[in-house]
Order: sequence, then structure tokens, then C-alpha cells
Amino acid sequence: MTVRNGHDSNDNSTTALEIDDLTVAYNSKPAIWDIDLRVPEGVLMAVIGPNGAGKSTLIKAALKLIPRAAGTVQFYGQPYEQVRGLVGYVPQRGSVDWDFPTTVLDVVSMGLYGRLGWIRRPGQSERESAMHALEQVGMQEFADRQISQLSGGQQQRTFLARALVQDARIYLMDEPFAAVDAVTERAIIAILRELRARGKTVVVVHHDLQTAPEYFDWVTLLNVEIVASGPIAATFTPDNLRRTYGGRVAYLHEGQRIAGLEEE
Amino acid sequence: MFFLEEIVIQLLLNFVAREDLNAFLRNPQHTATIVGSLIAVSGALLGTFLLLRGMSLTSDAISHTVLLGIVVAFILMGSVFGQHPDLSSIWLIVGAAAAGVATVLLTELIYRSGLVKQDAALGLAFPLLFAIAVILVSRVVSDVHLDEDAVMVGEIGVAWANTNSHCLSGCESVTITPDDPRAELTRQCTNCRSLGISPRDEKAEFTAICTNCGQYSPAQAWQAGFTKQEPVLVFWPKSITVMAVLTLLTLLAIVLFFKELKLSTFDPTLAAALGFRPTVMHYGLMVLVSLVAVGAFDAVGSILVVAFFIIPPAAAYLLTDRLPRMLVYSSLIGAAGAYSGYDLARGNLLGIANLSDVLAGLNDLFGLGLSESWDSSISASMVLMTFFFFLVAWTFSPKYGLVSTMLRRRNQRRSFDHQVVLGHIHHHQGSASASDELAASTLYRHFRWTPAKMQRTLRQLRARNLVEVEDNLVSLTGHGEIHAHQFRETQLTNESVGE
Repeated sequence: MTVRNGHDSNDNSTTALEIDDLTVAYNSKPAIWDIDLRVPEGVLMAVIGPNGAGKSTLIKAALKLIPRAAGTVQFYGQPYEQVRGLVGYVPQRGSVDWDFPTTVLDVVSMGLYGRLGWIRRPGQSERESAMHALEQVGMQEFADRQISQLSGGQQQRTFLARALVQDARIYLMDEPFAAVDAVTERAIIAILRELRARGKTVVVVHHDLQTAPEYFDWVTLLNVEIVASGPIAATFTPDNLRRTYGGRVAYLHEGQRIAGLEEE
Repeated sequence: MFFLEEIVIQLLLNFVAREDLNAFLRNPQHTATIVGSLIAVSGALLGTFLLLRGMSLTSDAISHTVLLGIVVAFILMGSVFGQHPDLSSIWLIVGAAAAGVATVLLTELIYRSGLVKQDAALGLAFPLLFAIAVILVSRVVSDVHLDEDAVMVGEIGVAWANTNSHCLSGCESVTITPDDPRAELTRQCTNCRSLGISPRDEKAEFTAICTNCGQYSPAQAWQAGFTKQEPVLVFWPKSITVMAVLTLLTLLAIVLFFKELKLSTFDPTLAAALGFRPTVMHYGLMVLVSLVAVGAFDAVGSILVVAFFIIPPAAAYLLTDRLPRMLVYSSLIGAAGAYSGYDLARGNLLGIANLSDVLAGLNDLFGLGLSESWDSSISASMVLMTFFFFLVAWTFSPKYGLVSTMLRRRNQRRSFDHQVVLGHIHHHQGSASASDELAASTLYRHFRWTPAKMQRTLRQLRARNLVEVEDNLVSLTGHGEIHAHQFRETQLTNESVGE
């Protein structure tokens, strides 16, 4: 197992993302409740929890994509509006229309729009950055492909390239591993590890408990409220998982390997 | 607007003589075609984004509810600002834009309640606003020129007649005051109505009023006979200016904010995360749709406006997978529809057939007694021709058209049949049951195929040198072996099966 042994003492390290008392409600039903969360810089963190636990909601609320009922969110000590350029976001693959008339390279260039600002068009240097990001995810030969011709895994890698091109300090990714093939899953995890090696912070909504301890070094267990958050070795325990999933954990092995509770 | 026309006319007069320009504009076909094309281009550009956002029908709703904006602006102008209501005022444009935004806001409000689905919310919001508009029209502004025909199909055929006159020389504006010898004075009873008496009553008091006082433009002064020298005039149809300005505005917005519109259409979440305010883009787009709808309303009526927004982009969507090309193609299709639509209204179908002759032919053959002159609604004919172009794209689009899809499916089916037979031979070749399984004459039974289909497939396979038949026994050629093997490798053992 290639688990990195966490950041056991991170008191003096920078905090990449700090969430205080965050509550989000849909029609007065809380989706996430009074979240306090601190993500130290440089970790590769999974957000894990059952369906409807509010994992995507947490990320969207952090980026102010949905209204917050209460609470504050700070990236590197500042509100999101002031540090947009430091934050890269990968939405769920299913959130867009893949029949849209455009190419893979164009979708990747969209990651640079924030840096370009209003009205200015992407030019040669933007195309080169986008091409470079496509190379990183192994998709360079698909650059001119119409996006509707991509497989699900290729779509996900395109989205990942679009985030890479932003050259952010912290990445928030909503289910990048959902329904992708084995090749893509390996490609994605390789990129996530490379990001961590470059000192980036990565927060990933994740579904597969089995791979979590292998892929990540930090974890937040969420079920509307935070159940536990910290280095994976200390946090990803059968006890915490049982509290997260309400006893639906089917199989626990050596306190680490867990299988068979999610539908996907 | 007037000033803009002046500039354009001066520019045009460098290239054409004034008489020719007037003659050109006075031809109903020219003005109708220009106005129709401008509506079609601006509609197609905006409609492309509406189509991709899955909100095509919003343009239908807005093209109706702008009527409310027009009527409310009309009432406000008359009663609040005390202005003479004028159908080409800036307030009407403001009112129309507000009505468009109100439609979208109301729809969202109803939808957000969580009690009604999105399409139904639209269906609730816009009839409400339209009904209010219709009632206001009939109750409050009964004297305004807004009849049912105009609402239905517009007046593009007479757009040439509603002009601004621009004077080039010999321009003498005339102002008639009450003490001018040319003033026509008449007496009016000032207290007849309040006292309920007739003007003949001795208590009636009178005041002198002037019936023809006021300012006369050179053209009006000439018409009224106040000047002796005929001014040199150019008559410019107003609707050309209105639609040209709206088209330029649309074009400018789309060129400037192309990147922002694209991003907020494709991925509003990322647009929001990057700080591009997709809501602002959304309502900006709705304002533009409203403006074009109100401009088009006059020409083609509220019912047909929607066709100019939806049909050209739908056709272009089948012809390309690049957004910039889709914008160009849909504009071209819209303009072509408008151009050929005018001819169709006059009975000429793309220069191929004359519908009047067709009617005459039908009369000759069957004695139907139909009227032999084909003269129909211009706007409806424009819509028909645009739809015709859509049908052409739908049928013959190289990538997504009906014909190419059918051909592709047939080829796929055929190549799959080939693989099935090759696989079967590969499987049984050299086995003990080979003589039974691979007999050419009875092979079809193993597949539950018709003998004809089996024969055809074998013939094709032999032609491709993949299969040979000897003594009624089919076998793979060396080439066929490789082919069958390759198929197994690539298609049956695929690592990426996680889809």
C-alpha cells in the first residue's frame, strides 16, 4: 500500500481551505449542517459519505455556486471572490451537454477564461497551454475531436485537463472517478499524485471506499454533518465509517479494506 | 435613428443615383427581403444560443409578451409623460426589454416554487402576460394601430411604405403660426361641452384655433403646398433602420461576449466559479431576444417570430459541430429563407415552379375553379422556405442527416454480418462437426437467416477475399484468418468497459 503517512503535525503549515459553521439547505431541509473543516495545504483529500450526504453540496457551497444559509469559507485566509485564480474546479461530468458543438481543445481552453477576464479572446499561448494540459492527461491526439465523440473516461480526462490548465493552488473535484474505465482511473490518480508532489492541495469527492486508503492521504467523512476529518490512517477507521454510513458497511477487513456499500 | 439613416444615405449616394435608390426602396420586394433577412440573421444568431441552452421556446413566450411591454409603454407615454404615443419610440424598446425579462423572471419564480415543472412554468407565465396585454390593447388603446392581422403575421409586405423622408437639397422647412397668411383658422366652442349647449346657443363662447399650424418637414411642406420648389428627397423605410440597428447590436454583443456566452451556455457552473456571472449573461441574452422580438413583431407578427429563432439554428446544428460555424450557417439559412420566402409568397418556388401555373394546371385537369393568382402571406412563406432548408439539412446533412445515418447503419449491419460469419467459420474450421457446420448450402440455417441473405453475405466475403468455398465447404482464406483474429482482439477483449 502506498499510503503516505499523513501530516501528523500540521499546526505550522498553511491552511488551504477553512470552512466554519457552514450550513446549506434546500427548501429548509439541511443538505449540510454546521460544517467546520480545515484542509491543510499539500494534502490529497477524499470527501467520503453516503448518497445524499452533501458531498457535492459542500464543494459547490465553498465556491458560492449555491447560496449558503450560514457560515464562512476561506481559501488561504481570504473569501473565494478574491482568490478565484487560486482555485480550480472540476464539476461532475454529467453536468454539461456533451453534444455541444465544440472541440476538446476548446473545452480545455475554457479553464483559462478566468485568467483572460471579460472580452479578451484566447490566443496562441492559450492554445499551447491547453495542448500541454491535454498531453498531461494523455489526450493530445483528441484535441480537434468533437466532444460528443468521447467516451466517458475521455470526457473526464478532458475536464481534468481543463482544471490543470488553470494552474491553481487548490483543486476541488466532484466525482472524477464516477463511471470511468480502468485506464482513466489510473491516469487520473497519477495526475492527482503529481499535483500533490508539486505541493498542490486536492479535494476529491469520492465514492469507492475500497480505493480510498490507497489513493488519498487525508479524508473527510461526511453525512450531512462532519463525522471525522484528518490523516487517512487515523481517520479512515471502521468505527468512523460505521458512524458515517449508519452500520451499512458490509465488509471490514484489517480495519482498512472496505467494500460493497455504494451502488456504483 | 434619423441621423443614422442620413449617414447611410450619404454613403449610398456615392454609389447610386438618388432616383435609383428611391426606386429600389419603393419596390416592396426589396424592403421586405432586407427586413426579413435582418430579422432572420439576428434571430438565428440569438436562437443558436437559445437552442444550445435548451430554451428555444422561451423565444416564443417572449415574442408574445413583448406586446405587454409595448402596450404599457404606450399608456405610460400617453398619460404619465404626456407625450404623443409613437410606435417607434425608445420607450417601447425599453418596455419590450422589460417585458422579456419579466417573462423569464416570472417563469423562474413559478418554477422555483417547486410545484410546477419548467415547461409548464413557461406555459403559465406567458399566457398570463399576453392575456393582460390583449385586454389592455382592447380596453385602453383602442385607437392604436395594433389589429389582429398585425399580431398574427405582421406587415412586412407594406414595410416599404412606412418611411422617413430625407431631404438632400431644396429643403425648406416651414413653420406655420396663427398669424401666418397661410394659416387656416376656425372657431371652436370652449364651453359647449361643459354646459351641454349647442354652438348656436347664445351663451356659447368661442376661441379661434389654427388647424394647420405647426412644423412641416420639407417633404410635408411640399405635399401641403407651402413651398414652390420641390425638395430632393430620399424615402427610407423605417423598419430597415430598426432591424439593422438591432442586428448590429446582436452581432456586436455576440462578437464581444462570444467566449462568455459560450462558456455560460456549455458549463454555467464553471462560468460562475470563474466569476463570469452566468445570470447576467442569461438576462442579457433575454434582453436581446426581447429587442429583436419587438423589432420583428411589427414585420412578421408574434406567432411567426419564433420560427426565425428556432428553425435556422436547428438546421445549422445538423450541419456542423463548431459553434462559430453554426452561427454563420444559421444566419445564412435564415437569410436564404427570407429571400426565397418572398418569391414563394408571390408564387415562385425557388425559380423552379410557378405556383400560379400549378393552380392553373390543376384547374385544367380537375376543373377545381381555384383562384389562379398565388398571393399569400410573406412572413408565412418565409417561414415555409426556412423550414424547407431545415428539411434539406435534416435529410442530406453529411454527418447527421437521415440519408447518411441510414447508409452508415446499413454499412455497420453489413460489416457485422460479415464478422458473424467469419467468427462462425473461425470457430468451427477444422473441428469434427465442420462438414455439418460449414456446408455452404445449409449454412444459413445455423444463423436463422434467409438463404438469400446468406448467399449475399458469402458473395461479399468472397469478393473481399476473406472466404473461399470448395466442394460446398466454406473456409477462411489466410487474409480472412487475420481479419477474424483482429476482430476478436479489438472488439471482444476490450479493456475499457467501464462505460
